[in-house]
Amino acid sequence: MASPAKTDSPIIWSKDLSKEIGDQSIVRDINLNIPRGLIFGFIGPSGCGKTTTIRLLTGVYRPSDGEVRVIGKHPTNFTPRDRERIGYMPQHFALYPDLTVWENLRFAASIYGVGSGRTKRIRHLLEFTELQEHRRKLTRQISGGMKRRLSLAATLIHRPELLFLDEPTAGVDPVLRRKFWDYFEELRHEGATLFVTTQYVSEANYCDLVGIMIEGNLLIVDTPEGLRRSALGGEVVILKTQEYLATAYIDMINQLPFVQGRTERTGENEASIVVEEASTAMPALIEWCAKHNLSVDSIQAYLAPFDDVFVALIKKLSKDN
Amino acid sequence: MFRFLIRISAFISKELAEILRQTPLILTLVLGPFLILLLFGIGYRSEARPLRTVFVLDGNSEMKQQVEEYAKNLGPQLIYEGTTSDQNAAMNNLRRGTVDVVVVVPPDAMETIQNNQQAVVTLYHNEIDPYQVSYVEAFGEAYIGAINQRLLHSATKQGQEQASSMQGTVQTARGSVQSLRQAMEQGGFQAVQSDKKDLVAKMENDLTKLDSQLTEFDRMQPNVMISPFKSEIKGLVRTRITPAEFFAPAVVILLLQHLAVTFASLAIVREHSSGSMELFRVSPLGSFEILIGKYLSYLIIGGILAAAITATIVLGLKVPMQGSWRDYALVLLVLLFTSLGLGFVISLVAKTEMQAVQYAMFLLLGSVFFSGFFLDLRYLLEPVRSISWALPATYGIRMLQDTALRGAPINALLLFALLGIGLALLMISWFLLRRRLQLSV
Repeated sequence: MASPAKTDSPIIWSKDLSKEIGDQSIVRDINLNIPRGLIFGFIGPSGCGKTTTIRLLTGVYRPSDGEVRVIGKHPTNFTPRDRERIGYMPQHFALYPDLTVWENLRFAASIYGVGSGRTKRIRHLLEFTELQEHRRKLTRQISGGMKRRLSLAATLIHRPELLFLDEPTAGVDPVLRRKFWDYFEELRHEGATLFVTTQYVSEANYCDLVGIMIEGNLLIVDTPEGLRRSALGGEVVILKTQEYLATAYIDMINQLPFVQGRTERTGENEASIVVEEASTAMPALIEWCAKHNLSVDSIQAYLAPFDDVFVALIKKLSKDN
Repeated sequence: MFRFLIRISAFISKELAEILRQTPLILTLVLGPFLILLLFGIGYRSEARPLRTVFVLDGNSEMKQQVEEYAKNLGPQLIYEGTTSDQNAAMNNLRRGTVDVVVVVPPDAMETIQNNQQAVVTLYHNEIDPYQVSYVEAFGEAYIGAINQRLLHSATKQGQEQASSMQGTVQTARGSVQSLRQAMEQGGFQAVQSDKKDLVAKMENDLTKLDSQLTEFDRMQPNVMISPFKSEIKGLVRTRITPAEFFAPAVVILLLQHLAVTFASLAIVREHSSGSMELFRVSPLGSFEILIGKYLSYLIIGGILAAAITATIVLGLKVPMQGSWRDYALVLLVLLFTSLGLGFVISLVAKTEMQAVQYAMFLLLGSVFFSGFFLDLRYLLEPVRSISWALPATYGIRMLQDTALRGAPINALLLFALLGIGLALLMISWFLLRRRLQLSV
């Protein structure tokens, strides 16, 4: 991996970045501030402007308005050296079906000027993406999942420090999707910054920072926990007692200082409590139960599925707007 | 049955909708070949080609005046380019293509004829096309035939004049005989002997003259009398070229041009449709690197194909190679380079692979009609001929025929013109590719 410049400046920064094609506004006022060395998940439904944003950040499109800096430069001013620091995996497979897996990787290496150590690098990536056994196969003969892995390997061939991955897991089965995120995590450990777009809301869990985009607008950028907190009003603790949790108890819980939202009964002896911080709230709740002669059967922090978080967030943001 | 028809109708409506949405493509498919045929019809000159002819005559030749007079009046097929006594200069003009035929009239033509032999007039040409060689041969025969006819006409006139003079001689002789007879009847033999001695001498003289003229007439060969001149046609290319040999270089050129244009015309449009172009835009690749890489790869492929096609025609069809292999290879290299440029421009202008293939096919069709592949360019009118000079095949065919069939060195003007077109196409394709790789929106 090319060592990123040791600087605190964000690797991707934009202010009011907008793009219009014809008389249609595709993305509006995108503000990004992405530090180095993390996975940024860019989540939104199909057609919301994710690919356009990537094209603006990689210099394929010229912005209609706003400012943008990627690795410290405006993307339209990238030199070949700057481009060598960037890897891009497009949404659709763009390699050559009549070349073998190995030949495609050799081609990708060549266009990035990888000369010495090329064979070793290709071998490493084939192992990394588990394509070693298929290296002699024509690309047209391999499965869709293998093609996605081959695309990823081709993107990584020149050890980029910043990776733009446009829906790398689209149409990929859950097992392979998991593997892809394992790869991404490994790459982040090696020092790369990943800008990953996805339609799968649940994949936000794997990201360090998540941006949610709807209809060309970037609604929010936060950590996954931050998003949960924003969506649900705090962290959620599920309390299960051996005794019946009467409404009076629920009302009392609502009065506790660390409880942030409205406590909901989810069963006869179970409640979902929105707290400021689950780790400090749980001992306090156990203590409160003991004080009120309630035996705690179980108490745990609840990680709401991101699908729910996403829906809640959209509702909340729409209401706010 | 009803479901069967519904299933069929699915394809009918789908195919029709798809085809009708490509109206420009359909129009070019239909109108393109018609346009080519129309241009060909306008530009094609169907009448026999006039030949620019120069005559080589001895400066003091007594025939000079006659030749000039004949040459100017032998009809539109002969364009009189003058007479010269310098045969080498005339032959050089023939080699350079500034004249079509050099007619060498022997310096002692009249003497030869008077010696009862046919005078041989040699016609030189520089044609390799078997059809054109036959045309020049027919032209030569017709030309000499016309001269012989004119000479025969004038000889007959001269003969008639001589016959009238002979008739006078006979009448004089007859008069002498009558005088002699009267003298004999009046004075006897003695008187005749003394008085009419001169008359007898005159009679003898007339008869001798008559005898000598008749002997001369009798001695003359009938073929010399009828055709005092005969023609001999010689080409600058010594061996006679068969139609198969003549068309072989043109086939090589046309095939290579088509292959190169087709390969290149798909090269970039395919990258675009597969999405690779977006990868290239983000990568450090420059348009020049892409273009040069593609040029070199297709030149290697084209070179291999050229070697295979050449081996087939030389070893398989036994087409002789008169010139240098180095020149041959150079012509093919420049042709491939220029054809690739044309293909890349097509590839950057076409929106789909089908459109690119279509344009390549039009180019092939145009080349068949306008490059001189089957019809000599001299039969095309000037404005339409400019289409020919826009096609790489036109240059390639000329140069390869010169090299392979004439054994001549490469025409530098043609080579540099072709190279110039190739470089211009490289620059155009570079510009178009740069524009495409730059910000698309």
